[in-house]
Amino acid sequence: MKTPRISPETLLVLERFLERPTDWRYGYELSRETGLKSGTLYPILMRLEKYSLLEACWVATEDGVPPRHTYRLTPNGLELARNKLAEARPRSMVRQPAFCNG
Amino acid sequence: MMLETHLRQAATVLLESAIRIAPPDTRDWGRAMAGELNYVEGPWAAVMWAAGGASVLAKQALVSLFIPGRRGQDLVPDGGLFAKNASLRKAALVIGGACVLAALLFFAAPPFRQAIGVALRPWSFMFRMASGNIQPGITTLAKQTEMRHDPEGLAFCAVRLQDAHESARQAEEAVRLDPNLLWVYAVVAMRHPELRETSQWVEKLERWDPQNALFHLIAAESIVRPHHPLGTWAPPNQDQDQAWRTAMAAAFQSPKFDDYLDRVADLTRKVVARYGFYDPYEVESRAELDLPRSAIENSERFALSLLRSGQELEARGDLQGAREQYWAVARYGQVIDSQGHTGFEHWGGTYLQSMAYKPLKALSEKEGNSAEAALFGYLAAKLDPVKGEHASVPKESAFGLDTSRRNAAVVEISGLMILIFSGLVVIALTILIAGTRRSAGPAAQRAKPVATMVVLTSAVGLLFSSVTLYLTYRPYWYIFQSAILNGDRVQTRDLQEFLSSMQMLPGVPPRLYLLLDALLYSRSPSFLFYVWTGVTLLGVSGLVLILLRHLLGHPRSHAP
Repeated sequence: MKTPRISPETLLVLERFLERPTDWRYGYELSRETGLKSGTLYPILMRLEKYSLLEACWVATEDGVPPRHTYRLTPNGLELARNKLAEARPRSMVRQPAFCNG
Repeated sequence: MMLETHLRQAATVLLESAIRIAPPDTRDWGRAMAGELNYVEGPWAAVMWAAGGASVLAKQALVSLFIPGRRGQDLVPDGGLFAKNASLRKAALVIGGACVLAALLFFAAPPFRQAIGVALRPWSFMFRMASGNIQPGITTLAKQTEMRHDPEGLAFCAVRLQDAHESARQAEEAVRLDPNLLWVYAVVAMRHPELRETSQWVEKLERWDPQNALFHLIAAESIVRPHHPLGTWAPPNQDQDQAWRTAMAAAFQSPKFDDYLDRVADLTRKVVARYGFYDPYEVESRAELDLPRSAIENSERFALSLLRSGQELEARGDLQGAREQYWAVARYGQVIDSQGHTGFEHWGGTYLQSMAYKPLKALSEKEGNSAEAALFGYLAAKLDPVKGEHASVPKESAFGLDTSRRNAAVVEISGLMILIFSGLVVIALTILIAGTRRSAGPAAQRAKPVATMVVLTSAVGLLFSSVTLYLTYRPYWYIFQSAILNGDRVQTRDLQEFLSSMQMLPGVPPRLYLLLDALLYSRSPSFLFYVWTGVTLLGVSGLVLILLRHLLGHPRSHAP
């Protein structure tokens, strides 16, 4: 399976998805949780969707308000997210004691 | 409240506009970002959200321009922004036309016309090299002045022509018509001391202005030039050495130094106005009229020999003789420093003085004259070429060399961009006109939306480049006008630095440029222009390839 380049920002997004893996998430909600601006967040979502790691669907809202796009990870996306976060965590854990002791 | 509403409206408009230019496969993402706008807290946050989203869509639009057929689709599979919406296409063409018109209006402004000439000059140099006439403007002017028997015009051309023999011929003719222009011989000989006419010119000049050190410097250089044509010094034979020493001794004894740059400036003002010859490159190339480096090098060599001679006299106990030798150097340095016109001349003068004041200080100490020793010590320190106040060639420019280099790069690039954008506008308009014919094929029809987009973006680029060129060059135009019309040469050094920077490759550090130039120098100093021409041709070929791929190579994926 081809996977996209996983940047630290992408990891942040994947981490948020993994917190509630079955929930559909809104773009603005993800932006607030990760602190990423729309100009950074949406290219990540677009890339994940391009590699079939993310599924998106439109949700109807009340009259007069445009529908909202929602997202969640596909099974492949969940697997990749778990693997990448697992790879990333030990590295951060190795670094942590150095700061604590210092 | 009103402000909040307006800001939210602005954010919505921004995102909707971006969605329009976005490639079709990313428009849903644009709508997704727009859908979130209603939930973004705070009007400014909404604007920032929209701006971020718009930048993503704009980037996608730009990428799709270069990589057509992403995900099996063309750049504009349904015609994009301009395909179905004919009124939008018309509006784009009107805006594009207005931009082109505005850019053309700049040609009404004299600074812009001059800026275009200056900006394209480095590029046209290559073609002039190929044609064998690297100074077409001056050559044409020389013919005109010759036909009119205008001595001042001839003198103006003589001091600027790079062809030594033609320069000498023009100078001879100018002096024949007006003997008061005899000083032109000095300026021409200073640039071309290898001319066989130099010796007879120097004789005439010495009779005309007998106290000027300049002619002796020219004579000295004409003796040693054949021995160091590329700036390398090889000692001349005994006879030549004696002649060189005689000439330099005469220069060191002269109470006057005049390089006639004031006369050149007056002549320039008259001739430029008379013939409307407003070419800053040819008119303000004072670097070539400046005292040649070889004159200072000759002076330094002779000064060192005098100082050595003084030390020998001092060792033999002839303190008076030694003092005279040292003083000869100091006095000559003072003459050059106080009567020179250029920073290089002042620097050379102070450097020679500093060479003399050090042994003079030591001599005064030896004689027990502490007050005089202190004075010479102070002067030596003040004029020290490494640590003193005159450690480098004095700064004569107001803008500074870095600013001149930056402005030169901006002007070069703006000029090139104007050419490229103009070309794109013409090509795209041709495609659009071809598409309006009844006989036009489907490829021409399909090309219309892309061509419209190219017209719009190129026209905006053309206007932007024109504005940049005008604003960047305008201060230099004022400097040139002030020098020509009013004789105000306070800032001409800025113009000269700018013009010499125009010969450099934009973005390349000057040291690297000099290194490359030294490495690749092979009788033609124009390799940079070849490099840039290659880069430009590659860029233009790339653009043409992109257009061709869009217009011809990709059948529409959803075409029936």
